[in-house]
Amino acid sequence: MSALILTSVLGVVLLYFGLFGNKKLLAPVGIVGLVAALVLSWTGWNPGIMEFPTMVEFDRMSVLFNCAMIVVTILIFLFGIDYYERMEENVAEHYALMIFSLTGAFLLTSYTNLLMLFLGIEILSIPLYILAGGKKRSYRSSEASFKYFLLGSFATAFFLMGIALIYGVTASFDLHVIQAKLATGASSNVLFLLGSFFVAIGLSFKVAAVPFHFWSPDVYEGAPTLVTAFMATVVKTAAFAGFYRFVQMTGLPPALANTLLVMTVLTLLVGNVVALRQSQFKRLMAYSSIAHSGFLLMAILANGVMTPNTLFYYTFTYALATVGLFVVLTLAKRAANGNEAITIFRGLFRANPWLAFVTMLLLLSLAGIPLTAGFIAKYQVFMLAIGAGFIKTAVFAVVMALVGIYYYVLVIREAFTPAEETPVLVVSPLNWLVITLCGISVVAFAVWPLNLVG
Amino acid sequence: MQYLFYFFAAISIISALMVVSARSPINSVIALIVCFLSIAGHYILLNAQFLAVVHIIVYTGAIMVLFLFVIMLLNLNQRTEPQKKLMTRIAAVVAGGAFLLTLLGATRQGLQIAAVNPEDASVGLVGHVGMALFKDYLLPFEVSSVLFLSAMVGAMMLGKKEKATA
Repeated sequence: MSALILTSVLGVVLLYFGLFGNKKLLAPVGIVGLVAALVLSWTGWNPGIMEFPTMVEFDRMSVLFNCAMIVVTILIFLFGIDYYERMEENVAEHYALMIFSLTGAFLLTSYTNLLMLFLGIEILSIPLYILAGGKKRSYRSSEASFKYFLLGSFATAFFLMGIALIYGVTASFDLHVIQAKLATGASSNVLFLLGSFFVAIGLSFKVAAVPFHFWSPDVYEGAPTLVTAFMATVVKTAAFAGFYRFVQMTGLPPALANTLLVMTVLTLLVGNVVALRQSQFKRLMAYSSIAHSGFLLMAILANGVMTPNTLFYYTFTYALATVGLFVVLTLAKRAANGNEAITIFRGLFRANPWLAFVTMLLLLSLAGIPLTAGFIAKYQVFMLAIGAGFIKTAVFAVVMALVGIYYYVLVIREAFTPAEETPVLVVSPLNWLVITLCGISVVAFAVWPLNLVG
Repeated sequence: MQYLFYFFAAISIISALMVVSARSPINSVIALIVCFLSIAGHYILLNAQFLAVVHIIVYTGAIMVLFLFVIMLLNLNQRTEPQKKLMTRIAAVVAGGAFLLTLLGATRQGLQIAAVNPEDASVGLVGHVGMALFKDYLLPFEVSSVLFLSAMVGAMMLGKKEKATA
């Protein structure tokens, strides 16, 4: 709760700094505030008195997810110092909106009330619609913003309809009350099923699960790289935490489980297969993110005791690898005059061997090669799915993971192929730090897998 | 009472259909106003007077006037109407039809709709709304300020004119 209040105030403070303060102070102030929020979140590990127990519940799962999201946001802010250096206007607004979005993410990981779920999703999304249009001169950025906004509003309408239907059946927004009502037989009510189906649609849109993924490549491509990194990591983590809480509270009625199963299979298939044909790095990352959504959906579908742990580990390691890669992309893109094709990575090894090595580690982690965190994460998901009896789906997911390795290796091959003229990469110390931290952590988490939610 | 409900329900459905089917955007907006008014009628039937009044003031009054202004400013006419390709139309029909089928299939066995809450005569008065807002729903009430703040920041950021330099 105190972290929630702190981040809301921090956003306002950053806006004030934008008005009166020095532009250079923005990111440091934001980072200090985020570190404080991290400490405050962590003190909630042993739950004491719960404020507003009918609205939010900061249990261990939510504390873990919140800490992970704060860490990723700190990394993105560190990256932001260099990224926003040449930008004249609205820097404070960019930082503040990201902080606000993070506030919404906190609500998504901890809600016990459908009203809070709705507010959380909206607070998470509305800053993102704006941030996606952050490059005002770029048509692509405006298109991304508008597309995301329209489709997002459409998904929200479904989502709200679902909440209304659930309310109609159970006469409550409180998930505890809903749970009690469901135990007395409301779970087979058609209106309840329709309601949870609609809520699942709204949430699937946020995690970009097929068939609600159409926005994702265009928005990833059009949005500023830093915002894309934020979208691919924090937003995905929050949306999956929210999705899991919903599934955990309402249970998975067979009708909903079947829907999720179909979506999981489709997401795995489309994400991995379409990614094979991408030549733009950001679009590749978008489809890779869709593919990862498929694995995460499978963990939710299994709905076991270990699901929150697996989700946490998967999203966190995925987020670390993704942030690192987007920083590398920005550096390579600058060297290539704004080109975003995969070929800009060519000659990376010649230009900066350490950078190329870390890039390789991050990509291998996303691909799920042993000795990286991505492998442990995928392994946990497969074990979870097999334990819950989804053997065919798990086998299919393994095949899809193997397909996925191909397009990651394609990027690695570019990085290690000598170019005709070696690109000149300018790596600021902070960017180097972010990339190195990401690289080390994906290996470190593979050696010491976190096993914290219990 | 019951007949009033059917009356309002019929108006809302017909006007909502007119919103999407009307050729001219102005007609659409006017149909939407009728739809909002009939929904306000539903609120009164449900004993939520405060909500009904707020609904009329905010939606029918403020938001729809804004809508009309925007439409007038855009100056829509035949030439600017977007051309929809045949494929888009077919895709839309297929998607809509599939969704309709899903809904029909889901509700095929019939719906059991029963009133869950007994009617409470005092529920819709301002005092009770205030009590609910500041006691039971204090946290969502406060948290929504973050939402509005970020929306305002966004409106300023996107709407502000950039300096000619740079």
